[in-house]
Amino acid sequence: MERRKDTLGLHTFMQDRKTLFCYSGPLTEDLLTTISNPVRHQLTDGETQETVSKRVFGVFIEQAQNIIRYSTQKTKSTGDSIGTIAISVAEDGFLIEAVNLIDETKKDVLEATLVELSVADQKALRQMYKQRLRDGPPNDSEGAGLGFIEMARRVKRFEFNFVEGQEGALFVYRGWVS
Amino acid sequence: MKFEKTQRTPLVELSPESCLIKGECYPENIAEWSGPVLESLKQTMVEADSEFKVDIELYYFNSSSAKFLFDFFEFLEGSSEEGKKIRINWRYRAEDDTMQEAGEDFQEDITACEFNLVIVEYPSEEQG
Repeated sequence: MERRKDTLGLHTFMQDRKTLFCYSGPLTEDLLTTISNPVRHQLTDGETQETVSKRVFGVFIEQAQNIIRYSTQKTKSTGDSIGTIAISVAEDGFLIEAVNLIDETKKDVLEATLVELSVADQKALRQMYKQRLRDGPPNDSEGAGLGFIEMARRVKRFEFNFVEGQEGALFVYRGWVS
Repeated sequence: MKFEKTQRTPLVELSPESCLIKGECYPENIAEWSGPVLESLKQTMVEADSEFKVDIELYYFNSSSAKFLFDFFEFLEGSSEEGKKIRINWRYRAEDDTMQEAGEDFQEDITACEFNLVIVEYPSEEQG
């Protein structure tokens, strides 16, 4: 069967990897408002500790807003940002994944920032967050420049990499919360 | 003055003696939402009583909103230095370590206002 028509395959794939929620396509703040509810619903199943579901939700929101602000892949008609974001059950908690195209010229800065965050302990992250809050956002930030620090504080660990594709550099993020 | 709560913004209630912020804060555009709120707070403070009480009870706020809270406290610190007696209660639930840490972090920078960390007890359905 042609892979792109493999509907059952899609179902099996999502079930096997225990993906609770996945969105891939144009993402807007309006859409984020709408999908916040089902995402939260998925996370409040009664078995998950509230502190854990709040951390997952926090990482999800920050990463969704990263896609909205920084994805360089846009819809032709409205210029909305395109990306993929997913939440799955993993290990003893949850895995938050995201993929989007980024501006090649920002890649090195992003990579350096994330490497710094990945080796920082909780205490250092807390200090970095406070410092960033006092200093204000860096010039190329549309938010407060705090998003990735916030995410690093909420995850147990995270991984990232860049994949060179035909359309540019894809940023791939994985964060584990438990 | 009252700003009704929405799915992504908290309730804000301002009176000459108090300010209440309660709910969740991760608006689509923080500046669009916080601009009018801070403006109202400034106007309120002009006519406010010499003693002013601020209650903040947030369940979740995103990183963009942290900047709003920072500016909010900075304004209160300024008002306090100008002579107002301001008491801030940062309210959070006992198990909510995220909001506890956030409160502790803001507390470190606040010297002129009185800043209290207050644990609230709720059944889990009653939030925001």
